[in-house]
Amino acid sequence: MLKVENISKSFPGIKALDSVSVEFLEGEIHALLGENGAGKSTLIKVICGVHPQDTGKMYIDDKKLVVESYIEALAKDISVVNQELQVFPRYSVAENIMLDKMKTIGKTAILDWKAINKTSKRYLDMVGLDIPPTKAIGELSVAQKQMVEIAKALASNSKILLLDEPTSAISESEIKTLFEILSGLKEKGIIIIFVTHKLEEVFRVCDKVTVLRDGKKIGTKKIEEVERADLVKMMIGREEKIEAFRAGAVEEDNIVLEAEGIYKEHKAEDMSFKLRKGEVLGFYGLMGAGRTELARLLIGEDRKQSGKVYVGGKEINPRSISDSLYKYRIGYVTENRKEEGLLLNSNIKTNVNITIWPMIASKVLKLINGKKEEENARRMVDELDIRATSINQLAQKLSGGNQQKLSISKWLVADCDIIIFDEPTIGVDVGAKEYIHKLIYNLAHEQGKSIILISSDMPEIIKLANRIYIFREKKIIGEIGEVSKDADSYDIVSNQIASYYV
Amino acid sequence: MAKKDYFKSILTNGNFGLFLAALILFAALSIASDNFLSPYNMYTTGRTLSLYAFVGLAQGIVLVVGDMNLSVGAIGGLATITAGYLMDIQGFNGTVAVAVALAVGIACGLINGVITAKFGINAFIVTLATSFVFTGINFGFTQGYSFVNIPLSFTVLGKGKVFGIPFILIFTIIAFIVLFLFFKFTIMGRRILAVGENLDAAKFSGINSSNIKILSHALSGFVAALAAVLYVSRMGTAPPVTGQDWLIVSFAVAILGGTSLNGGLISAFGVIMGAAIMVMIKNGLVMLGTNVYWEQTYLGLLILIAVGIDRVRTIYNQRRLLE
Repeated sequence: MLKVENISKSFPGIKALDSVSVEFLEGEIHALLGENGAGKSTLIKVICGVHPQDTGKMYIDDKKLVVESYIEALAKDISVVNQELQVFPRYSVAENIMLDKMKTIGKTAILDWKAINKTSKRYLDMVGLDIPPTKAIGELSVAQKQMVEIAKALASNSKILLLDEPTSAISESEIKTLFEILSGLKEKGIIIIFVTHKLEEVFRVCDKVTVLRDGKKIGTKKIEEVERADLVKMMIGREEKIEAFRAGAVEEDNIVLEAEGIYKEHKAEDMSFKLRKGEVLGFYGLMGAGRTELARLLIGEDRKQSGKVYVGGKEINPRSISDSLYKYRIGYVTENRKEEGLLLNSNIKTNVNITIWPMIASKVLKLINGKKEEENARRMVDELDIRATSINQLAQKLSGGNQQKLSISKWLVADCDIIIFDEPTIGVDVGAKEYIHKLIYNLAHEQGKSIILISSDMPEIIKLANRIYIFREKKIIGEIGEVSKDADSYDIVSNQIASYYV
Repeated sequence: MAKKDYFKSILTNGNFGLFLAALILFAALSIASDNFLSPYNMYTTGRTLSLYAFVGLAQGIVLVVGDMNLSVGAIGGLATITAGYLMDIQGFNGTVAVAVALAVGIACGLINGVITAKFGINAFIVTLATSFVFTGINFGFTQGYSFVNIPLSFTVLGKGKVFGIPFILIFTIIAFIVLFLFFKFTIMGRRILAVGENLDAAKFSGINSSNIKILSHALSGFVAALAAVLYVSRMGTAPPVTGQDWLIVSFAVAILGGTSLNGGLISAFGVIMGAAIMVMIKNGLVMLGTNVYWEQTYLGLLILIAVGIDRVRTIYNQRRLLE
């Protein structure tokens, strides 16, 4: 039995785990369920030593367990299948699987490639991957890499297996294989912890479920004893009600952005779409389906190999984000606010104004008008309800939701006509999520901006989008022409979307 | 602000620490040696400090965008002989010579910047290579001979003084005030800091990051050439070996001055203090009668201590954030 007791963990500006206690039993698949930012991944990272806890204790069979690094966790038979794929792209598949247990010939230091490849092939077969073990892993698809990660975890014969959203990048048939493997491991008496935010998976494969919300444990239930609706209530703290906004006004004939046959190898295959003024256009799909890839081609961060993009009827060819911002007034709110969205060591003032320095500077000497900077920062803090002690507070000291609002604010200040939101509510709390939803709605339907909303959060996209394009394997595979905004819209539209994935 | 917080902020403020360190050194040297406070020693110290400040800035301004420039000395050498050649052999006046020398510095910096930023090659290896190219051109052209016929009028800035304060020090202080304003108020300065702090986030905020990197390298070349011109003005001669000892000085001054090796952080005041500490330590070593052959060891150790302090400060600030 693995027991975690009163585990707390804080990061700057956020209490990720607040005195969480859970018992995980052998021969059980135990789901950790919660919304984005609930603390699921953090708990996994505490157990595997990546982020040791601030306070609290862990026990294996009543023996105290101390892990202060990932290596220590491996040595104690704990292994992890990560959300982000931890692979060495130039190494072969076999090397990636066998990295920490390479075999040598006899007592020499010479690697026994035959044995290594043979052993790794066995684990590849287990996960149903029919690829030669000598292939460089960089050449595999995201789904295949994820399966290699799972094979690697199997190869380490762990007693505790942590899976952090392992299904987010793989297809239905692969999910099926994974679940079969997990059931097999369960029989062997392994402790399996399965992090997810998908309710269906909990009911399909798990025996127990612990729900986390805002870093706190809400409860642990046996799967037979709990209904879907109960779990949802535990997760979001209220009854599940997908509250669609009333359908907002869109200028049907005013096409502000049109893409025609956008192509780039491994990124986008023949993608075409139209965006109308005052519209929220949804790009739905899983990670790696080609949505962010398309966005980066549109804003000039990547270059398309063929295809055309028109803004206001004129063909554009932005060569950089600077081009798309200053010439075509297109903004892009990244999904990755810490790495790409914010200057964490700079204050709110700088983060708000960074896009408009050229507009608020004097003519000759290009001196930035400090007063205007302050005005803009104050206005954004008010308008977006950013909770901060002052406009001189550093971005890194804000909570996730407020950081996200700050990351959005620079495009509002720059008054962009078209704004692409890439997973705008990832890792933000429920309150901020609602706020951002309202903001996106108002931007489109009251201020006449045109919005592209990239999201893998189905309720979010159904709530906000006027139309939805469905992405899969770098292609647009379908379009939902008009998203119903009636009371039962969620069931109807989610079924429509699901029909594209069969 | 509570009294305790105020005290804490002074402790964590790198500039104050530097000022304190410089003050302690100053006091120690004043007590240890009768000569240190003599007008002549103060005058030479002030002049050397000025040069060191610019040499350190030439490094700091690329460190701040997360790059480095191993060719600061080579660029300085090339600018030195350019100015010397134009005045000595061609008989041009100082203004023309300075303008061309600075242009040479900017051109060298642009070469570094374009190769680094546009082709994505590590600045370390690029500037290591170009430092040999620049030095080679220098020696090939001069065959090792100095240009000595520098007009007297040209040395006024480098040798003149008012109330015992060297002109060159006054010039330096004004230049660094401008630098302070540059980083605080101009688009370019702010963008350099933004790119240095987080290149991706800057790029995703509509800043053309690679152009900013090129700009930083060009500025580095400009400042190195400026240091060279000041050197000629101070010495009244233009030897091709100028700049050969700048590399270690440039890193020592920049790092002592609190320039972050991770980019994003530079302080005009800090660089001046870095130069002051550097010059006083050198001065002190001479007065203590240390063997000049050992000097490199002390300089190397000094850099290690400086980066050690930088590291401790970084870790301390991270810890403080977690509280």
